[in-house]
Amino acid sequence: MTELTRQVVAIARPGLAWAVHFIAIYALISGACAARALFGYAFLLIAGGMATVICAGLCLWSVAAPPAGADLKGAAFWSGLIFAMAILANASALFFFQSCGG
Amino acid sequence: MSASDTKEAYSGARKGEDATFEDVWDTPKGVRRLSSVSHRVVGRRFIYTGFVFFLIAGVLALMVRTQLIVPGNTFLDLETYSQVFTMHGTLMMFLFAIPILEGFAVYLIPLMLGARDLIFPRLGQFGYYCYLFGGIIVLSSFLFDAAPDGGWFMYVPLSTQAYSPGLSADFWLIGITFAEIASVTAAVELITAILCARAPGMSLAKMPVFAWYILITAFMIAIGFPPLIIGSILLEAERLLGLPFFDPVLGGDPLLWQHLFWLFGHPEVYIIFLPAAGMVATMLPTFVGKPLFGYGFAVAAVVSMGFISFGLWAHHMFATGLPILSLSLFSAASTMVAVPTAIQVFCFIATLASGRPKLTTPMLFILGFLSIFVLGGLTGVMLASVPFNFQAHDSYFVVAHLHYVLIGGMVFPLIGAFYYWAPHFTGRMMSERLGRWVFGLMFVGFNTTFLLMHLTGLRGMPRRVATYAEGLGWDRLNMLSSIGSYILAAGIALFVFDFFRSRRHGPPAPRNPWGAGTLEWLYPPVAPGFNFHAIPHVESREPLWDQPHLLENEAHEVDGVMRGIRDGRRETLGCDPVSGAPLYVLRLPHPTWLPMIAAAGLAVLFGAMLASAYWLCAVGAAIALVALTLWAWEPSDSGVTRDAGMGYELPVNVVDRRSHMHVALVGTMLVLMALFASLIFGLLYLWNIRPESAETLSRPDILPAGFAVVLGLAVALFGQLTRRAAVSDRFIGATLLSLATAMSALLSVAALGISLLPIDPWDSALGATLWAIGGFVAFVLAVLAYWSLFNAARRVSRRVGPGQSMPDFNLATFAKGTGLMVAVSGAFFIVGAMGGVG
Repeated sequence: MTELTRQVVAIARPGLAWAVHFIAIYALISGACAARALFGYAFLLIAGGMATVICAGLCLWSVAAPPAGADLKGAAFWSGLIFAMAILANASALFFFQSCGG
Repeated sequence: MSASDTKEAYSGARKGEDATFEDVWDTPKGVRRLSSVSHRVVGRRFIYTGFVFFLIAGVLALMVRTQLIVPGNTFLDLETYSQVFTMHGTLMMFLFAIPILEGFAVYLIPLMLGARDLIFPRLGQFGYYCYLFGGIIVLSSFLFDAAPDGGWFMYVPLSTQAYSPGLSADFWLIGITFAEIASVTAAVELITAILCARAPGMSLAKMPVFAWYILITAFMIAIGFPPLIIGSILLEAERLLGLPFFDPVLGGDPLLWQHLFWLFGHPEVYIIFLPAAGMVATMLPTFVGKPLFGYGFAVAAVVSMGFISFGLWAHHMFATGLPILSLSLFSAASTMVAVPTAIQVFCFIATLASGRPKLTTPMLFILGFLSIFVLGGLTGVMLASVPFNFQAHDSYFVVAHLHYVLIGGMVFPLIGAFYYWAPHFTGRMMSERLGRWVFGLMFVGFNTTFLLMHLTGLRGMPRRVATYAEGLGWDRLNMLSSIGSYILAAGIALFVFDFFRSRRHGPPAPRNPWGAGTLEWLYPPVAPGFNFHAIPHVESREPLWDQPHLLENEAHEVDGVMRGIRDGRRETLGCDPVSGAPLYVLRLPHPTWLPMIAAAGLAVLFGAMLASAYWLCAVGAAIALVALTLWAWEPSDSGVTRDAGMGYELPVNVVDRRSHMHVALVGTMLVLMALFASLIFGLLYLWNIRPESAETLSRPDILPAGFAVVLGLAVALFGQLTRRAAVSDRFIGATLLSLATAMSALLSVAALGISLLPIDPWDSALGATLWAIGGFVAFVLAVLAYWSLFNAARRVSRRVGPGQSMPDFNLATFAKGTGLMVAVSGAFFIVGAMGGVG
């Protein structure tokens, strides 16, 4: 893999991590809070927390260890930071709330 | 036979090796101009047609404002008012904003990237005619007194047969779906063009920032439009066939439509904004005289917006009773999107601060964009807050917000872009003096109209009301808003006048009139059909600034790759998607009528569907199929090499994962996967929120569902084996394996169909959705089978020779994706059969 390809991957990886995290959180909320009530809030919290740690970690990877080379290094760094913040913001509701109703 | 650079070894694809470069690229004259596939012609058509729709939609907006100018007005009756505001929104969002921006991208991207044309010129022509015919279908509803009146979002149940009898909603659903083909084809075309056809040396990091904006926008279209296409097809199926997707009595849900619509609708706002912001990021450095501040920040911000904008759709649905936790998730995502947006705005401000900006007309529009769009963004953050949204929902505050975002974020940069790139369209400069008047009228008119609407909304005036009672505190605000709209319209009218005036009386534009740094100004603005005699090596993001020798010589004398190739074919340079290193000579098609005929066939198909003339639908489909088959039935170009100059010995149309055909196929698979995912989303959504309905559903047959999974894997396997046989030039093996691929695809269709037989699609929404999934996958399988047979037929009839395995190479990727869809569908059916549905 070339230096530039690594940088492109480092830009895209946080976005993909955010997308996976968003889908996971949306699916968990839908599973717990819709009519079917597939599982309880505790499961939602644990699974959501795990997804958050893993996906935020993938984003911060681009921040803590940005790829070598000057071309798109800044883009990779900022992409990681923006998406890590977005993941934490999406997950925040799970931790501030106590149930589907608030 | 191995690749050869001798002309004798090159079979049948030459068009006349004695023709000059200018002859090869010449645009046909007279009526044959309609057959042109040049990006310059097609791009301009998109732009001009989009602007005509803008003017029509603008007149409709003036009718709305005239109706609301005083309380109790009777200028429009209630039904006409609903039609007028519905068509205003529909034309603006679907037929103006996206197509005109795509038109600019189609026109500018090859010029900026150092390509002689877009990679799929025929697809561009096909997309344009789909857009034109689709737009005509939507507009023709006025002639039949059947203009849609359900709002540009066509909410159900209002748009169902029970509440919208007649054809009004059908005109919208069929016409818009047809026109959307153009957006999706343009998206695939632009993704491929940006990744696969750049000048030597132009790595992704040296790409003009406009190309980044368009690349991300194109990916967003590829993923964002499918939910609406699926939603429209389901709604039309409910209206036409009575399938109960959205009928709560039979386990459907009207909110499913809103989910599918806004899954498209919110990213659409960013799809509109990003290209316009890309124009700003291109124009701004020119007038400041310095490169864009923070290229890396801007790229990160654009990528972030592209992703995060897909997580906001439900903030349009805050008042529909979603779980509180869901509201918080979407509120957080809606707030977070402000971060990358603000980063972009800071990049623009920092660029402004880095030099002494020249206050030209385009620059005024950029400043207007910054001030208006930032205000719109701030009210967007307000609306992301759930409690505030509950209060402001469906009020004129929202109308003010969306116009601040869309007019500020798109129309102001667009008019600035017209002033900036007008020399490309007319060869002349537009008037700076009139331009300042245009800007002044538009800025004052816009703010008078829409700033006050915030107050009107906060005072409680709801959207979409045809009139209002006197004395509610809305009278004067509405009067002033209407006056403002006339001032805004005067600005647009003056712009149109200036554009036509400049065509004859504007001063001739010199080469690079603004002193810009990007490659589209290398040649004098109006070149007769062609872009680059030789494609120059690029060393920076602003080559015309950093490589002064490019402007020191006449444009046609600039040194570069591909000057000397003389096969009499239209060609450009194919590159590595990341590094931009030259990889191959990319053969391009010449003018042809076939895409237009295919689009006309589809127009007959869609139009006849409106008229319930189903035999005519079949005729239209047959015309389109024949045209598309002839389109693809051409000699292969791969298998030879050419000396491209500057030390490059390049193959023609390389058979490789990095080839333009393969990249386009991956883009197409992305669209198909998004369509499939939309259906799966619908299935899971209905299953989750209507468990009582799921319990009463008949179950799919498990055995054929299991066979379908196996056959799906067989489809992927045979496709892969065909690729291997073709690449190693095993003629008979590849032909037989193509037939096996087609056979397994047809058997998969049968297995999926038999599995679903116990389920009556008219009985429940869930059953109808299962059938919709089966129908969609069957359609993709039918395409795969047709393609496999087509490849086999071409091989048997000697249309392809040794070393020309690109169609089979690409089919393998398509087969893998299709096999995955079959396997996933089969797995869902098995879960349903085992009781998981209930």
